[in-house]
Amino acid sequence: MGKYSDSDEWVDVVPIPQDDGGPNPLAAIAYTEEYSEAMSYLRAAMAKNEKSDRALKLTEEIIRMNPAHYTVWLYRADMLFSLQKDLLEELEWLNTVALKHTKNFQIWHHRQVVMSHIPTLPPRETAFLALMFAKDAKNYHVWSYRQWLVRHFSLWDSELPYIESLLQIDVRNNSAWNHRWFVVFARHTDSKKHSIKNGDADSDVPLEIIEREVEYTKAAISTAPQNQSPWNYLRGVLRKKGIGLVELKGFAEQYADLEKEDEVRSSHALDFLADVYAAEEHKERSGKALELLARRYDPIRKNYWDYRRSLLALDQVSA
Amino acid sequence: MPASITHASLNKEKHVKYWLRCLKTYLPNAYTSNEAQRMSLAFFILSALDILGALHTKTTASERAGYANWILRCQHPDGGFRGFTGTMTGDENRNEWDAANLAATYFACASLAVLGDGMERVRRRECLEWVRRLQRANGSFGEGIGKEGVVEGAEDMRFCYVAAVTRWFLRRGEDMEKVEDIDVEGLVKWIEASVTYEGGIAQGPFHEAHAGYTYSGVGALMVLGKLPRRTSDSKDEGRMSAEFVESVTKWLVLRQTLMLHEEDELPMADEEPPDTTLESFPPTFHVQGAFPVSVADAILPNGLIEMSPHDLQWAGFNGRCNKVADTCYAFWVGGTLGMLNREHLQDFNAIRHYLLDKAQHMIGGFGKLPGDVPDILHSNLGLAALAIMHDPDLKSIDPTLCISLSAKENFEKSFPSQQARGNLHGSNTAKSMH
Repeated sequence: MGKYSDSDEWVDVVPIPQDDGGPNPLAAIAYTEEYSEAMSYLRAAMAKNEKSDRALKLTEEIIRMNPAHYTVWLYRADMLFSLQKDLLEELEWLNTVALKHTKNFQIWHHRQVVMSHIPTLPPRETAFLALMFAKDAKNYHVWSYRQWLVRHFSLWDSELPYIESLLQIDVRNNSAWNHRWFVVFARHTDSKKHSIKNGDADSDVPLEIIEREVEYTKAAISTAPQNQSPWNYLRGVLRKKGIGLVELKGFAEQYADLEKEDEVRSSHALDFLADVYAAEEHKERSGKALELLARRYDPIRKNYWDYRRSLLALDQVSA
Repeated sequence: MPASITHASLNKEKHVKYWLRCLKTYLPNAYTSNEAQRMSLAFFILSALDILGALHTKTTASERAGYANWILRCQHPDGGFRGFTGTMTGDENRNEWDAANLAATYFACASLAVLGDGMERVRRRECLEWVRRLQRANGSFGEGIGKEGVVEGAEDMRFCYVAAVTRWFLRRGEDMEKVEDIDVEGLVKWIEASVTYEGGIAQGPFHEAHAGYTYSGVGALMVLGKLPRRTSDSKDEGRMSAEFVESVTKWLVLRQTLMLHEEDELPMADEEPPDTTLESFPPTFHVQGAFPVSVADAILPNGLIEMSPHDLQWAGFNGRCNKVADTCYAFWVGGTLGMLNREHLQDFNAIRHYLLDKAQHMIGGFGKLPGDVPDILHSNLGLAALAIMHDPDLKSIDPTLCISLSAKENFEKSFPSQQARGNLHGSNTAKSMH
């Protein structure tokens, strides 16, 4: 008795039950009867390499229960293309699966496979991604897919305003900061060639872009000085053009003045300044910033800041 | 201070019970959505019992032989392992949708090593050739081979790790070292291109730095012998630079966080999620510098970013910047620091207290977040994180392979390798810390 064994549609098919081998299977799962039966019919369909509407529907059933089944997606994609199914309908169905299984990555890879067969960006695509981000603005798979989408359809121009709208909502959204980096710096990078670290200096980047990014990031820091994301971004942008951190010493000192050690507003500013002072050969000042981090402003990382202080070899200097 | 805080300890007996239940009884139905990764669940179960010192005392030799047989049952005739038995349709109707999977192949090899079964019955040559076919021109790896030899799967740092470690397990002895190798240089370049401006490693180039991918990238470099010998070395012999080690170290230690709950993460506690429907795409305004002042900062007047000693007692690890702590990152971060011989840069006490007071469950195992019910992945990685910190109740583990040192040593004794010699020893890693 079961959904498939009772169905006229599948009457010609002999299901293939799972054979888990000997007496000591590992990680055996208490499947529902519904799942066991559907899998037995899937095995039968796969064994014949059946390409049909009923098999397509069967893959939907399986994916709903087990979206991480790595070959059911390949089987489904193969059927979609050979039966010349409406790919926009496939996207609509995928929307419902993605909303249900938000942590699954095969769903997004399949979406990419399907989308690469669609000549122009479907009008509802960006709205669907916005809905995913409304549920979780840091969903890694959605951001990865979005990068692919931006490259594939060359959506660069509309991307920066969109990112800024997300950073307006949450200036701590590190995924949005990373996407900003991608939009600003990956545009002219050939995705087929990855010969350098994407953070490495690149003299081709125009200075006005660097200046724009620095100003934007400083504004973001001014609203939330203890936010790690823009401080990391700032360092990355400067490094991209080979500009020393020293250029922004005055800016960082607004948030951490060593003369007023009770009024430090950002541990990241202290860290920034430790590097600035070390670059200026002011080892004592650099050591003071690191000591403040270890003792007062970031004591969870005491071991690390002490290690950094040891690299200054302060003791050897005074000895 | 309550006694339970100062005396946080591993409830070893409960953990052993939890894992024996996972090993010897059916897993709950909720694991159905992980069925395709049964091989990874199998590894986490066997390895956890091994780390607890219970695998060889609480199971019989014939049970262990049965477990190895199940793993080998998942071996594909053309090389590699399946993640589960669910795609197999019998020898008489082999089908093209019954394919080996790269992640499953790593977990199968590691599980066999943990069981002490060795690799005699593994089709090593076929497997190594299959792994090589999974590599793309840009250096990255897919997770399986599809129709007409197409490499299937996303570009994903995890596949690079499992490819490199599978190679480490299997490419041993004169015969195997003659099998055509993967493009090691291409792989290293792809990993290097995936290092982000933050200093961590991402799923691939330009993606966001993430502790799981950072573990994968550094782990691959480790088994390939591509980390610098000493932190004072400049780049040599195609190895990564000392500067890379410093920047990834900093990114890793920055993952330790006092943010333990979702509500800590919200920038504006009183704000509803944005009203976004399928019909309304967010406005595309571009106003430089117009950021709302967030509540989180408004309640932190000047000079009040210091934390109280009370708060500092529990600090977990997050996987990305500005995210909440999660049990598994205690291993992805701690394990990566361990590969670099820098695990002591963590705050040991705070992470121990986080794991034992907040994430350890009364029935044994660890939850993902404080108060969560335990699951197999987080329960294993919670133990592994404690083992990285040299917990006296646990066996020492190799941070790169994520198996006990004793399992690794037994394996290496039965399968010595010319090429791999030295790759996983301290002489190859950053040692300037000592």
